[in-house]
Amino acid sequence: MASAAYLETDENLEALISRIEQKSRKIETLLKQSKPVEALKTALEGSPLKTRDERCKSANWIVVHRAMMAIRDIDGMFNSLDTEYYDILMKYLYRGLSTGDRPTCDQCLKIHEKLTERAGLGCILRSLADTVNTV
Amino acid sequence: MAAQAIHQFAECITCHAWSPDHSMIAFCPNTTEVHIYKFFTDKWEKLHVLAKHDQIVSGIDWSRSSNKIVTVSHDRNSYVWTQEGQDWVPTLVILKLNRAALCVQWSPKENKFAVGSGAKSVCICYYEQENNWWISKVIRKKHESSVTSVAWHPNNIHLATTSTDGKCRVFSTIIKGVDTRGPQAGASMDWKFGEQIAQLDLSPTWAFGVRWSPSGKTLAYAGHSSMIYFVDDVEGSPAAQNLALRDLPLRDILFVSEKMAIGVGFDCNPLIFAADETGLWSFVRYLDERKVTPSTSKASQLSEALGKLYGQSRQGSSSDTVEPSKPRGGAHENCITCIVPLRKGSDSIIKRFSTSGLDGKIVVWDLENHITIPK
Repeated sequence: MASAAYLETDENLEALISRIEQKSRKIETLLKQSKPVEALKTALEGSPLKTRDERCKSANWIVVHRAMMAIRDIDGMFNSLDTEYYDILMKYLYRGLSTGDRPTCDQCLKIHEKLTERAGLGCILRSLADTVNTV
Repeated sequence: MAAQAIHQFAECITCHAWSPDHSMIAFCPNTTEVHIYKFFTDKWEKLHVLAKHDQIVSGIDWSRSSNKIVTVSHDRNSYVWTQEGQDWVPTLVILKLNRAALCVQWSPKENKFAVGSGAKSVCICYYEQENNWWISKVIRKKHESSVTSVAWHPNNIHLATTSTDGKCRVFSTIIKGVDTRGPQAGASMDWKFGEQIAQLDLSPTWAFGVRWSPSGKTLAYAGHSSMIYFVDDVEGSPAAQNLALRDLPLRDILFVSEKMAIGVGFDCNPLIFAADETGLWSFVRYLDERKVTPSTSKASQLSEALGKLYGQSRQGSSSDTVEPSKPRGGAHENCITCIVPLRKGSDSIIKRFSTSGLDGKIVVWDLENHITIPK
């Protein structure tokens, strides 16, 4: 599947990285204003799904992780999180679970339970079966 | 109840097909054989066993007007069976494949049939009168992976395929001497054999169960990421609608009318999809009414999962047998892999159809008095 379409120039990657850095700063501001859900939305938006570059993916994961760990009220989060974010959030939950880090996994499992209730098993399938758009 | 009849024929059924008058059914009980049953007043009786294949039979289709059965198997061969007196006589069709054949379908005029295979190719087979022999012409190169499903456009020329490379493709299957220039053929005659007319790259993962609507205006197929795709105007400028499902993915689809389709798959319960006046498709509901079970507590879910793990570790190497899945309170108890229409005359709306799956049951469904089918 690794076709030429995914080969990116260094320039594009630099642009992606700087965009993620901008996102990171915006999230810190939002978290200071105690808007964790807005922070999570910002983190999930424009995630580099198509790229094969691990550096980009890790950078974005760090940003998502930061926002995700700041969520205290999970039910409250889902009340203001639109359904369009569900599939991408599920992908990051599985990335979180794969780290094996205790607090991360705890948080991911809590969110996973609620997300599965809302989005159904189809959402899990979309995150597991999709090998083109990865996080 | 929408399920009209439920018959437990075997442990597992890979595929099935009905005789033209619906009095007989042919299915493969997950073996090298095809069994034909006939319904006598109150029960089904086994009439014939078609035993010619060496490996699992993966596809059966029974032609409606010429009363021929075509079977394909993992043994890479195909047989066309014709009834002579009491017996079914096989004719070998050499498909020229080096991998398993996976699916088969007669063309609408029944002068050709298409076979999808694991050899990244599709065979178009037709009968040559002078040699008294079925010829297989192979469309190679385009597919990057196994062909999971084939569907004939009503014009008898265009063939849609889905593949485990995630793509849905439409080919021209025009064959000189078989396809004659007719008044309704029109532009479809301009294509050469094997030419790719369209390629849809909507699914990021395996694609299954491609079907055309009765008029051929809409194409539907399923993605293994719990998606169903409806595509209008495939040959011109394709307009696709992607529907994400809440539950498990689909394996096969059937259009019951221009505006309604049934999807079957890992949910063990057929799903109804319908289009509104503007052509927007949406999920309507599940077809089977299930007994509403109070939401099982997490503890019991967990113990069930542990039980499965424990059971598997005890069984050891025999884990490839079909595990008896938990009773779900529906007509099917395991994944549905096949849906076949029960057409009445030339009616364009299909009110009855049957499904089979890994639980070895064949269920006949009747939509009449159950749901209004939009035309």
